[in-house]
Amino acid sequence: MEREVVEAELVLPSHFSFKKIQSYVKYPKGQSKVRWKHIKQIIQAENYQNYPPDEPNYVNIESPPSMHPCKRICDITGFEAPYFDPRTKLRYANTEVFKIIRSLPPDYVKRYLALRNALVVIR
Amino acid sequence: MPFISLIQRQSDYTNFASDVPIVIDNGASYFRIGWAGETDPRVIFRNIVLRPRHKGTGETVTVVGDHNTTLLKYFDMSRAGPRSAFEDDVVCQFEIMEYVLDFGFDRLGADQSEIDHPVLITECACNPLQSRSKMAELLFESYGVPSVAFGVDAAFSYKYNQRLGICDNNGLAVCSGFNTSRVIPFIGGEPVYEACCRTNVGGYHITDYMKELLSLKFPQHVSKLTWEKVEDLKMEHSYIAPDYASEVQIFKQGGKEAEEKTRCWQLPWTPLPVDEPPSEEEISRKAALKERQTQRMRELADAKRVSKINELENGIKGLEFLLQQLRNFEEKDIPAFLKETGYTSRQEVESSLIKNTQSLRKLKGEQIEVEEKPDSLLAERFSLINVPDETLTPEQIKEKRKQSSLKSAAEGRQRAKQKRVEEELERERKIKLEEQRRLENPQRYLEEMHAKYKEIMEKVEQRKRLKTNGTQTNGNNNNGTGAIGRGERLNAAQRERMRLLTTAAFDRGKGEDTFGIKDEDWHLYKLMSKDNDDEDDYKPDEDEAELARISSRLREIDPLFLAMSSEPGSSVAEAPRSRPLTEEDFQITFGVERFRCPEILFNPNFIGIDQAGLDEMVGVAIRRLPSKGRELEESITNSILLTGGSCLLPGMSQRLEAGIRMIRPCGTPIQIFRASDPILDAWRGAAAYATAMQFPYQTFSRMDYYEKGEDALRRYQLRYNI
Repeated sequence: MEREVVEAELVLPSHFSFKKIQSYVKYPKGQSKVRWKHIKQIIQAENYQNYPPDEPNYVNIESPPSMHPCKRICDITGFEAPYFDPRTKLRYANTEVFKIIRSLPPDYVKRYLALRNALVVIR
Repeated sequence: MPFISLIQRQSDYTNFASDVPIVIDNGASYFRIGWAGETDPRVIFRNIVLRPRHKGTGETVTVVGDHNTTLLKYFDMSRAGPRSAFEDDVVCQFEIMEYVLDFGFDRLGADQSEIDHPVLITECACNPLQSRSKMAELLFESYGVPSVAFGVDAAFSYKYNQRLGICDNNGLAVCSGFNTSRVIPFIGGEPVYEACCRTNVGGYHITDYMKELLSLKFPQHVSKLTWEKVEDLKMEHSYIAPDYASEVQIFKQGGKEAEEKTRCWQLPWTPLPVDEPPSEEEISRKAALKERQTQRMRELADAKRVSKINELENGIKGLEFLLQQLRNFEEKDIPAFLKETGYTSRQEVESSLIKNTQSLRKLKGEQIEVEEKPDSLLAERFSLINVPDETLTPEQIKEKRKQSSLKSAAEGRQRAKQKRVEEELERERKIKLEEQRRLENPQRYLEEMHAKYKEIMEKVEQRKRLKTNGTQTNGNNNNGTGAIGRGERLNAAQRERMRLLTTAAFDRGKGEDTFGIKDEDWHLYKLMSKDNDDEDDYKPDEDEAELARISSRLREIDPLFLAMSSEPGSSVAEAPRSRPLTEEDFQITFGVERFRCPEILFNPNFIGIDQAGLDEMVGVAIRRLPSKGRELEESITNSILLTGGSCLLPGMSQRLEAGIRMIRPCGTPIQIFRASDPILDAWRGAAAYATAMQFPYQTFSRMDYYEKGEDALRRYQLRYNI
């Protein structure tokens, strides 16, 4: 390892005196046996539906959907978008933007759609 | 810069008695650790872990936090993106969390056999039990911590600011963090979790949105738009518009104000050296060099030609001599004599002589008379044709067949030649006619030509379009959008074929199957299998030739004529490629993006998250309060505290106030305060809290953990008023 890397103590040592169980014991090198649950799995395992509904929990403190009418903005420019292109499914503000979106390569269209979570992926 | 890392190792760890709590603000973006009672955390670093491979040794190492990026050049970072222990605001990946805690305790100076200090660590509101118990397990079992207290960062921040006199006993904390934004109401100085409200949008989403928008806008500079750089751009330039619609209108109209609000990031760029036109001397030198080269080539070719001529002449002389000798021999002795020379008969010698003389003439540049032989010769050559078969020997019959085929070929050639001559005449006649017409009325002639040119141009264009449309979109059929209709992607012939195929497929199913009774039925397959592309090829060629002819003619007679480029679109597409790159090409300009990206805090549906924005969340939180009453609600809206990293965005409080005013009853007093330090207040509040006399009674001890287990941990809740 290079001297400057060692001097900067960039790399986390594997042994610490203050630990009762060292991480190399817990997670033997090269194999992380533990598969950590994702947030969705944690929520599922938590069985919140069995808890009293008036007790606050991680799920029921989430905000409800907005009551305001959904603001539609142009996917390219951010202007207000009165129009919708049925071919690319993009929203657009004016004819110039329309020209742009019609000349966009398909993967760009997909990325713009993915930005507002509107990309339909067919598996 | 509001976010600064402090990773110096502390040396005074042993000075602290074992009852001094360690305070950790475990934020999704930054990890802060320090001692209770102090004003600032000792160690601050980004809450991420990198697991790159060392280039030299090939071992995978763990790097926590943000370090000097220049040192990372020794590591292969290709497969090691930064990893966070968080999902939304919940700690999920405890392996990563452990590395982060290791690093934090290490830099705090811990060097004993265990961490013998109570630990106060922040968590999100209503942290799922699993996450909390895993954290407790980690702290108790791996580090030997005697007791742990879990608190909510926003609450600590509120309490800290309450102590500073910024906000009231009743109030509301609006905390816009890295992964989520929370609104927590406070009544009597205690958070009311029943009424709190969380939207999964935060600073991370703003940066991510900005990064993606800019890289879509400037695809050529994607490599420059790193996460860290965009984060910097966000913090430096983005703001929250007082009203999105009117702000965007400024940019839509353009003008001076929009220009002033547009920011520009100049990427490193060095102008290309302008090549000077070559000097006179240079040109002449080059010309001389070229001349010399051609001279040499010419000399070489001449020498070659002369030697070839000599060779041929010698050959001819030899052959003539041979023929002379042959005259002295009898017919039957000839083969024996010729054996040595390689020829088999007298005719062969003669023919090779003729060949040699011909090529000699050619070399010398003389005209060779071709084939044209007098008719008498012709008659002689085809002597056998008119003789009836019966009178001939089998050999002669063979000869006759050969002659007849030769004759027909010769006649064909003759005919073709005649036709060529006629065509030439015709063309000349046409040109003359056209010239005449032109002279009669030049203006009208020109117009006619232009019209014709346009017509053919359109025809060619259309054909080209059909063709390219067919092939181009067929090429990326896999584009998945399915947006391009089937009809648009095939040309007419292909469409017809598709129609045949589909009708064949569907008709077969119903009724009696009579296919194949008539012979014509089978023609269908011929039609289907035909590759229609080949047919089209002939005609456009003809058209294009005509087009070329007309355009050249027009160029001759009309000085103003400019041939349209064959593809109108190409000129637009190719323009930037041919033009030299300028400074402007290395600028990343962003105007609307400056407030479009932070706007997602108020309109999460911009990034497809169907939840209430910050202003609505305040309304939701007040609605959810278990105890209602106008007075209470007014006291709450009268003390709204803004905290969390995203609250640093300029314009936040004005916008929030406008938004809340819209949803609260008219005349409601609304006061919004920004936390004294939105970033560090949570830690400071926690550090102050941990010094309280009552703090040890608010902790969850290792004993409790082993005796009471998870259920007690679930019910565990900190009281903030102590």
